[in-house]
Amino acid sequence: MSAGRTSAGVDFGLGLRPEHYDEIAANPGRVSWFEALSENYMVAGGAPLHWLDRIRRDYPVALHGVSLSIGSVDPLNGRYLDALAALIDRVQPMWISDHLCFTGLRGLNMHDLLPLPYTEEALDHVAERVQRVQDRLGRRLVLENVSSYVTYASSQLSEWDFIAELSRRADCEILLDINNVYVSAFNHEFDAMTFLRGLPRARVRQFHLAGHTHKGSHIIDTHDRPIVPDVWALYAEAARLFPGVPTMIERDADIPPYAELVAELDTARRIAAAVGRQAAA
Amino acid sequence: MSVTTSPRAASLSELQGAFQDFLLASSDSFQSEVRDSRKADRATLLDVYREGYALRLIEVLTTDYPGLIAMVGSASFDDMARAYIAAHPSRHPSVRWFGRSLVDFLESTAPYNRSPAATEMARFEWELGEAWDAPDRDPVAAAALIALSPEAWETLAFTALPSLRRVTLAFDVPQAWQRREEVASGSLVVSATVPVPWVIWRPDLLTRYRSLEADESLLLDALVAERTFPELCGCLACFTGEAEAAARAAGLLRAWVEAGMIGSFRY
Repeated sequence: MSAGRTSAGVDFGLGLRPEHYDEIAANPGRVSWFEALSENYMVAGGAPLHWLDRIRRDYPVALHGVSLSIGSVDPLNGRYLDALAALIDRVQPMWISDHLCFTGLRGLNMHDLLPLPYTEEALDHVAERVQRVQDRLGRRLVLENVSSYVTYASSQLSEWDFIAELSRRADCEILLDINNVYVSAFNHEFDAMTFLRGLPRARVRQFHLAGHTHKGSHIIDTHDRPIVPDVWALYAEAARLFPGVPTMIERDADIPPYAELVAELDTARRIAAAVGRQAAA
Repeated sequence: MSVTTSPRAASLSELQGAFQDFLLASSDSFQSEVRDSRKADRATLLDVYREGYALRLIEVLTTDYPGLIAMVGSASFDDMARAYIAAHPSRHPSVRWFGRSLVDFLESTAPYNRSPAATEMARFEWELGEAWDAPDRDPVAAAALIALSPEAWETLAFTALPSLRRVTLAFDVPQAWQRREEVASGSLVVSATVPVPWVIWRPDLLTRYRSLEADESLLLDALVAERTFPELCGCLACFTGEAEAAARAAGLLRAWVEAGMIGSFRY
């Protein structure tokens, strides 16, 4: 599979949320693409699919899942993959992404992005499953680094080495969540820049940006508030290291008016433009 | 010389099992597999996951069952939701389906089974949700039926829209549900009534519901069972007498077609 880069004209996008359907149809603002949460549209019919089809007519869409559970020791869920394949046929997304994590085992789903131990055993396990999913879907998978709150005593690799090696072994791509890097760097006391520099440049397909909740002793990835200045600063570094990668802002709780997110996206646009000017100079 | 051996490292399967068991509160053994940070102990950090697990699923139920919250109040709903989460951990990749066993849970579990009104509210709300994202189908247009020959009506049978649901409620749940956002949490009053048949359906992007007359519910159930039009008329005879049955059946059928409840027909 080829390692594609930015689709033409796809630069700054937003998460597609039901609270904003009407506004997107009426006054979309400067948003060049949308990311749809796959599971929200794995339904038979009704308003969700109506809106997805309508917005897809006008915009490129990426599909972003939360339940692939690529790291689980449970067998891959064939019915889930069938539903995802059907959604891919319907949407013709630019790319499909999910998270480098597991969401449950023994047939249960915890509906959380649970981190994996960064071990050789986990690396072998996930790489083999990524390849099987890519074979099933006929396209490359884009996997996101998650925020995490605990460190496994048994981890042998850094998170960035794990991700980099996985992308090479499985020939998959990386959704680099800048906020998640910041959150995990604080929680696990590593250097966020070391993380960014440790990733293979050609494999980074997309950026995520989001807000978080600082609890003093740890940070929780809540997606319920604006992006903080430190994350914007890290985003500038990422834009410098991985130029031209599409950027998208996630908001999943306390959803603000659409115009607020469009304005926040303008901040990302200004930062990326400034970085680009500096690089050109 | 003394020799020490380090304990065998847990496998990926063992680690994931221990993590999940920790979330389900069935075991705390996972604590020994993770480290304290310099700023927080492992118990504090693991609680982010354990509490997040419950809060996430409670939020899902909150979205699915706003009328039930308005009836019982947030605190009681929270307790009920935690009991449900423990009894019915999610088995589906999408949280959309997590709440589907709540009605059964309320019916079969004390003390919730002592509040049939709350169970009826939950049933009504779940059926609304089922109709919301049921398969789409354009309803049959009246003109298509008018164009049929008299012979066609001898074997004519129908299917309802995929979204159509029938419930019979012994409380005024649908009327109360309309007031769910107007009242303080826990103060929504639901009153007992004679059992009333209701129909829920979605002919376009909006879900509708309305009550049915006794003969209308009987006829609609027969239509859903794909009885032929002459059989539908026979169903009504005990209400109307044979002479009036065909006219009443045709009138009800026309009303359902105009309301967009009928998905297809064959003859």
